[in-house]
Amino acid sequence: MRRVLYGDVTVLDLLVVAIVALLAVGVAKVLAIYLRRTLKERMSRGHLEILVKVVYYGTVVVAAMIALALLGFNLSGLMVAGGIAGIVIGFASQRIVGNLISGVFLIIERPITIGNQVNIDGVMGFVEDINIFSTIIRTYDGLYVRLPNETVFTTHITNYVANVARRFEYVVGIRYSDDAEKAMRIIGKLVEEHPFALINPPPEIFVDNLGESSVDIVVRVWGPISVWYEVRKTLLWKIKKALEAEGIEIPFPQRVIWQAPSSEVS
Amino acid sequence: MFGYHEIPADLERDPISISIRRRDESLLYRREIPADRMEKILLGKGSNMAVNPVEPLMKPREITPFLMIEFERSITVEPRSKSRLLLAFPVEIGVFLSNTTGYDLLDVFSLVKQKFTLYGDPKNGVVCKHWKSGLYFSKPSLDPLRAGVMELVIANNSGVWVEVSKAVFNARAMKIYYKDELVSASAVMKIASPQVAETDFADTPLEDGMQKSAGVYSQQRLAIIAGKFVMEWGT
Repeated sequence: MRRVLYGDVTVLDLLVVAIVALLAVGVAKVLAIYLRRTLKERMSRGHLEILVKVVYYGTVVVAAMIALALLGFNLSGLMVAGGIAGIVIGFASQRIVGNLISGVFLIIERPITIGNQVNIDGVMGFVEDINIFSTIIRTYDGLYVRLPNETVFTTHITNYVANVARRFEYVVGIRYSDDAEKAMRIIGKLVEEHPFALINPPPEIFVDNLGESSVDIVVRVWGPISVWYEVRKTLLWKIKKALEAEGIEIPFPQRVIWQAPSSEVS
Repeated sequence: MFGYHEIPADLERDPISISIRRRDESLLYRREIPADRMEKILLGKGSNMAVNPVEPLMKPREITPFLMIEFERSITVEPRSKSRLLLAFPVEIGVFLSNTTGYDLLDVFSLVKQKFTLYGDPKNGVVCKHWKSGLYFSKPSLDPLRAGVMELVIANNSGVWVEVSKAVFNARAMKIYYKDELVSASAVMKIASPQVAETDFADTPLEDGMQKSAGVYSQQRLAIIAGKFVMEWGT
């Protein structure tokens, strides 16, 4: 075992190197399987394969450097060269690396997922894809918007569908001459009849403000997240029609002007 | 109304009208209930049609697999006890067409008012189809086109008296049986603490001679349906 093969390299050294190499390949494979299993549903297949390859070959390269060191190679020169190259590449690809790291954090934190309706940095729409470097949004107008992950990660994100239910609100103004209690009963009945207006949390209907031209009734309704917008659209129109059918009108802004008698004016 | 019928078929029971009639080389399916009507052209000869109660999740649109039955009066259950009571559950009616191995869903309709509610909080809770039921200790007389009878066995495994005012189920796993004037299902609720209970459906009819319904979900190929639901936000 101590037989010298070349320079200071013995059979034992070669054996250790072989064991390190085998261990490295084993660890790399286990890591690859683990990554595939854990990130299978969080990343697209293409990006996952890239990540797995980077981790796999990275592990093998680190093992190779350890093996070279065991064989007596002096790696300090390589380290210095690698360090300088790292600094240069780091400066050159600062934003790219920032996007990459932000992408990884987005995948881990998951404030948004594909299909969510979001508002990111003022861009509203559906999340089409979350890549390693960027997030793709399809706006409600059907436009394709690519946002760098660094922007996504460091800005405010409003996820409209993160919760299972959400509340929406109307302010319905009626004339002072109308019966506000009757109006609230009509609105309450419509809300109660709508299948997707949730029973719990309960809806709220109340006079919120005595305005310049109208008595303002606030209507707050919770709806399932998948249909809330449809409920919001249909219910408002039903309220308007039902109130009008009962003779309750939504007034125009108005101002009462008192005119002084002509004698006073003169 | 409920059962298997040969095509062409004409079924009438107030206020439901269902028909499949031959027209040239096709079939015309018509279904009418108050305020809702459906018409479909079917290409093919067809052989059989099944009409039966299905899981009450499809109307007005399938948005959740969960069904909450809220009791009209809450009940308090003794520690370490097992009790049985009967509830009503909403009925939706499915129309199926036979295929080479089973049945495919053609239409679903319902005569009952649909309403939804939230169980839990908006972040972690679930949206449920809502139904309010009375509590019965003997078989109630219900219109089978509108409501079925659910046998609920409540096992209080905790060491304290527990008040129960609702039951939430994963209704995709519901097993429904029917005969002439009765629709039924069976379920269990295992109470672990005043806040936590587990619900599940049992595959047993309420009475002898009942026929098992072709379910919307049980007809789906390769469907693995988890039936249990853990009520974490109170009973």
